[in-house]
Amino acid sequence: MSPTTTATEAPKVKPPETPIEHLSNDTAKLYTHIHPILILSLYAFQFKSIVADPVPALLNTLVPLGILQITYVAVCLPPIGSDVAPAAEKRKPGEKKKIAPGKLVSGLNGKIIPAFISLLVSTLAATPLLMLTLIFFGAPITTHHAHTLLCAAHISLLATLPLIYVHGVDGERWREIVACLLPIDEVYGCLIGTVLGAWLGAVPIPLDWDREWQKWPVTIVTGAYLGFVVGKLAGGTFLKGKQMKFE
Amino acid sequence: MGRQTLLLALANFLIPVAILVFATGFFPYKPFMPGLATFEALGWEEKFRWTKTPEPQFDRLVFMVVDALRSDFVFGRESGMTFVQSLIRDGSAIPFTAHATSPTITMPRVKAMTTGSIPSFLDVILNFAESDTTSTLATQDTWLAQLKAKEGGNLVMYGDDTWLKLFPGFFERADGTSSFFVSDFTEVDTNVTRHVPEELLNGDWNAMILHYLGLDHIGHKAGPKSPNMIPKQVEMDGIVRQIYDAIENEDHLSNTLFVLCGDHGMNDGGNHGGSAPGETSPALVFMSSKLKKITEFMDRKSPVDGKGEGGMEFYKKVEQSDIAPTLAGLLGFPVPRNNLGVFIEDFLYFWDDGSDRIQLLLRNARQVKRIVEATFPSLNFDDKVRDIETECAGELSSGENLACRWQGVVQIMETVATIHPKLRVDQIYYFLRAAQDVMSSTASNYDVSRLILGTSISLLSFGLTFATLLPTLSMISSTGIFYSFTLILYGVLMFASSYVEEEHHFWYWTTSAWFLYLFITESRKQWFPKFLFHPAIMLLFLHRIIRRWNQTGQKYAGAPDIVHSPFLRGSNSLVLWSLIGATYMDITIRLSRHVARTISDGDSPPATGEDTDKERFMGTLAVLPLGITAFMFKLAFTARDAPELVQGITAGVLGFVEDLSLVGVARMVFVGIALSASWIGISEWRRSRGRRGMGKGKGKEGVSGGGGDFAPALFDLLSLFLITQTRAQNIPLYLLFRMQLFFLTLLDLPPLATTLTTILLTQTSFFALGNTNAISSIDLSNSYNGISGYAISAVGFLVFVSNWAGPIYWSIAGILLLGGYTRSGGTAAKVLDAKEIAEETKGWVVAEREYLETLIDKDKHAKRSRQDGGVFRQHVAGLSLFTVGAVVAVMAACTALRSHLFIWTVFSPKFLYAMAWGVAFHLGVSVGVGGVVWWVGSW
Repeated sequence: MSPTTTATEAPKVKPPETPIEHLSNDTAKLYTHIHPILILSLYAFQFKSIVADPVPALLNTLVPLGILQITYVAVCLPPIGSDVAPAAEKRKPGEKKKIAPGKLVSGLNGKIIPAFISLLVSTLAATPLLMLTLIFFGAPITTHHAHTLLCAAHISLLATLPLIYVHGVDGERWREIVACLLPIDEVYGCLIGTVLGAWLGAVPIPLDWDREWQKWPVTIVTGAYLGFVVGKLAGGTFLKGKQMKFE
Repeated sequence: MGRQTLLLALANFLIPVAILVFATGFFPYKPFMPGLATFEALGWEEKFRWTKTPEPQFDRLVFMVVDALRSDFVFGRESGMTFVQSLIRDGSAIPFTAHATSPTITMPRVKAMTTGSIPSFLDVILNFAESDTTSTLATQDTWLAQLKAKEGGNLVMYGDDTWLKLFPGFFERADGTSSFFVSDFTEVDTNVTRHVPEELLNGDWNAMILHYLGLDHIGHKAGPKSPNMIPKQVEMDGIVRQIYDAIENEDHLSNTLFVLCGDHGMNDGGNHGGSAPGETSPALVFMSSKLKKITEFMDRKSPVDGKGEGGMEFYKKVEQSDIAPTLAGLLGFPVPRNNLGVFIEDFLYFWDDGSDRIQLLLRNARQVKRIVEATFPSLNFDDKVRDIETECAGELSSGENLACRWQGVVQIMETVATIHPKLRVDQIYYFLRAAQDVMSSTASNYDVSRLILGTSISLLSFGLTFATLLPTLSMISSTGIFYSFTLILYGVLMFASSYVEEEHHFWYWTTSAWFLYLFITESRKQWFPKFLFHPAIMLLFLHRIIRRWNQTGQKYAGAPDIVHSPFLRGSNSLVLWSLIGATYMDITIRLSRHVARTISDGDSPPATGEDTDKERFMGTLAVLPLGITAFMFKLAFTARDAPELVQGITAGVLGFVEDLSLVGVARMVFVGIALSASWIGISEWRRSRGRRGMGKGKGKEGVSGGGGDFAPALFDLLSLFLITQTRAQNIPLYLLFRMQLFFLTLLDLPPLATTLTTILLTQTSFFALGNTNAISSIDLSNSYNGISGYAISAVGFLVFVSNWAGPIYWSIAGILLLGGYTRSGGTAAKVLDAKEIAEETKGWVVAEREYLETLIDKDKHAKRSRQDGGVFRQHVAGLSLFTVGAVVAVMAACTALRSHLFIWTVFSPKFLYAMAWGVAFHLGVSVGVGGVVWWVGSW
């Protein structure tokens, strides 16, 4: 609109994206269903200690969560640039190169390394951004820094790690993700579900029930985990391939 | 088109109707019995050989009220009132905790203490509408009226002028003080105390009332733990000693009863209005050396520890309404007619003869029975002995239970004269206490059919509004979904007491999500390279500051917030005042531009609409006095109202402003605003006429420079008025609001999104300014700006404006956004970096001129949509649907939860707020003022 605002090209020019399919082998098909159960069990198992003392418990839970998420993406999802993902067909050759030697080595390495890179990116880049978002949404700014940071880390591992694994760190692609322009699939569903869940998680905080679990950030993290599972299920099944429409 | 407007008008008309019908059912108007009570025939006179009333024990009364005197301030171990405590130990004083019912604010409490009735919630409204004759007690039966009616009855009164309003013409001598400045801890009290020595020497009165406000002021300002609290208690204790010594030593005062009491208590934040243990537990002490007769066997330990919830219960707990019948007995006058209190048992032992005790109580019981009879006309309350074995067995309604207990009184009065008097006394108490319980419980007072009728009418209004919106809603849009989600969730939350108390969280939470949503939708259209400075993200950022400005709600009351942070207080108050100054400056500069435009009008052709430097200078010159006066008023007012906020200001400036007459300066500001409005209005109207004439000549509209300039001018003048009505520490919020408005302008929202933004920001700003859904948070400090006397409508208007200032601001800002009036300026500013908003305005104006050219098309479009009433109607329909939806939800919640524990503390205040939102805000501001602004925008 305004001449000085350098708007990027409208995304319509590019061919429409197709939803991410998980890998077609049997392990992938099986594990994609087991994964949410494992995630929820992990959280349920840790819930008591998170309520009792959020900071160490959330920190400790991050490790198994990271392992579970890495396993999930490595077993079930096509890494960025792989042939299995039709979405990546039109990648620039420069980016493809990153994966090409991986294919030469064993298939396992080709997945594990991107998975670890995703872990790194989601903890180092996405977590601070998410923490900022949490603060913008009303997280305490003068106190509870560790709580908020760990909360952001959990959301980040749940929501962004799989996305980074399948979409990489391409700015253009992430703009589409933020603008809700990608078709819904399992991985995208995880992000939407986690974020919505974390947002809805704030609802019980003002209640006068005086329960321990009402304290920051237990409800937010709980909402994020539940939202992750719901989003993953919905994105992988009946919402799959749907395009979000605004207005 | 016309039909829809008609439907919408009808729906809006139904809002006040529904609220009124519901209110009459929810706060039933209790009929009171007029006239003064007299000693009436009791029955059983011959049997007990009653020829005269029991001998009164006292002939004079000193009634000393210390506002917000909580029980522990007198009886607790940390109390400063050592003299009173020594009297308790000595047996010359009988202490009680007098339970005050909600609402714990002064006027209803004074009503309860003087009439013995239990004032309904309606009195809260009447508290602000005191000219209503039903709220004065001039025609009601009170112990004041009874004492005045006595032979030689003369009353004197010093202190809170609430008494003067409640009892006009009652007092022989009086000096009222108004609690105008809460920061005044000493003068309000010395104004009372200076009359005391002189009055103690006068023998012409039989009741002296003193009402001290200082302690309440300390509470409001700094809470019960304030370092000023103990010295104030010591001061009050000294006055008690002074009066008590006079009673001991002066012959004409020898038969004087001295009562010290609080009208209500305070919570840990120092506020009152609700029903926390601290708020409902004021102290009550009866003092006289004659009391030693009855205190011999009483527990006279003092100080003691409090019992009960919050540790606020000391000694025996009585009802505040018990004061009236007790005074009646002790001073020998008939119990006031509408009394629901019970004579306090300890004082019965003043009378040695058992039949005197029975007579005293029976008078109390007869009077209460009369009210009970009027409430349950179908039940039998006569004095004949009946067989009640069968009647009174099994489950009884509360009315039947009372009838049975009364029958018990009748039977025991009829039995042989030789039984122990105590048995009769106990039976009468058995009836009286039950009657007090039943009559003060509110559940029986609802008119459920009216509640349902009121809710149905508001539902009908909802349906009508919905019908007018159908064409819009039939196209499902994500904004529409967000709107419906907000409305539905809000309606559901109204049923949960915690969410009513913490309503601000809902709005903060929803508004954050809405701004993120705006970011996402904008990102779909185009990507903003520095996305952290995207207008929607900036909105979110500003929103985060705004919500932290004031900590509100109940759960985290007293938690740290920006207003109470050291950044703005104490020696840093210069920071606060710089921000306030910037807010005033911003508005003044905007106004100067409006005025400059009106001056340029005369000599340059209107089509250019440009203002030269000379004109700008003239404009600034014209509005600068107004801006400076308004700022000076705020400084002078704050120096008196909240001195802690002006600590960093140099003494010279303060010395100057402290000499200003606040009423005069406030009037100057208001008149200045009105004059500017009419000046700009007239000249804009002439310009629009001129444009139209030109338009006819050339066959096209003269677009540039004109068209709707008056709307933003009105908005800026309104902002100046609103900040005049806002507490100083909240004024910087308007700077943040202005920035939000700027970023919203950049977003260029479609109509429905504008409506939703308006709703969200009106609600958010209401709570951000420190309001809650509780009565105690109503800010009265700005209600007398420019008013010297008590003028009900003016005060009411100013109270509303000062509490709804934020919502009014956003309601009108919403109209500007809707009409795109701010658009030209805003788009011009788009070239500036977001960080440069506060930059010098010169470049801004140049840019504005350059862009005006390019914006002609857009303006034409905006203008067309403005002239089309459809947009405004849709906007009003959107706002109405939300307002009515909220009213429906609150009414349904109040109806469904009418026996809920929190009905009087949470849901009723919410209904009062919903009334204000629905009638004063929605109809008065959104539709009324909004309509005017929209209309002048179409000139």
